[in-house]
Amino acid sequence: MMTALLIVHGLFAVALIGAVSHQAIAATLKYPGIRTRPSLARLRASDPNIYSGAVAFLFLVVTIMGAILYPQYRLTVRPFVQSMDLRALNGVFELKEHFAALGLLMLPAYWAVWRQTPDKENKTARLWLTWLLAGFVWWNFIAGQLLVAIKGLFS
Amino acid sequence: MVEFYRGTVAGGDQRTVFLSDYRRWTVFSLAACLAYTAAYYFDWPLFRYYLVSGGLSFGVQPESAGAPILWYGWLMAAALVGILAAAIVPRAAALRIPPDLLWIVPVASVLAAFLYEARWFI
Repeated sequence: MMTALLIVHGLFAVALIGAVSHQAIAATLKYPGIRTRPSLARLRASDPNIYSGAVAFLFLVVTIMGAILYPQYRLTVRPFVQSMDLRALNGVFELKEHFAALGLLMLPAYWAVWRQTPDKENKTARLWLTWLLAGFVWWNFIAGQLLVAIKGLFS
Repeated sequence: MVEFYRGTVAGGDQRTVFLSDYRRWTVFSLAACLAYTAAYYFDWPLFRYYLVSGGLSFGVQPESAGAPILWYGWLMAAALVGILAAAIVPRAAALRIPPDLLWIVPVASVLAAFLYEARWFI
């Protein structure tokens, strides 16, 4: 059951990475004063707003699945990390925890800024919140993959 | 009448604008991000989840109960503070919140997380 949930968690995380990365890049390209190459014109023409619902939903679902999996991590992976004295990897997971929580708590503000009229200040907030979420998602995905593969990598 | 080829260009500005109570959502996020940071810095979980017994506890259990998971408690404490702030802060005050705070507070929270967890990397 937990293995199946871990796989679904990973698959949803991949979808989330795609959505939030596209949104962050499209929103940056639309930011006033940003010049783009012709090859990026199609991405710039796309509406970054269309991703916000999917990003919020996927972030919520992925975090809930992560929260369900967390006790299993504490029982099986963390003791191994500690026994191998992999302090940095422990720190990477601690940050993953914080980023998941901060991302979840930021979601209402993220959702709200993407629903408001986009004035200049609002566009700055949109850009920062979207890139922050993208950073959290990338960090958490890479940290998760490292920890899932930890026994193969470090034993 | 002139129309754009394949309809109008998709743009964020053409969507239905959400004007009702979005400020309450931002108040929630700002308060909750600050509360979460305070919760793990000062060890203020709303509750602890003990893995061995599989139970929630609002107090500290003896060491024999094993190490608890604090993350759920920090998250719930932060969410509770956020909900309270969103309910209590008057609408007029919420409307005066500078938009830049929306990204400054989360960025500061991330920096605080890096500083707090730097102990693992030294």
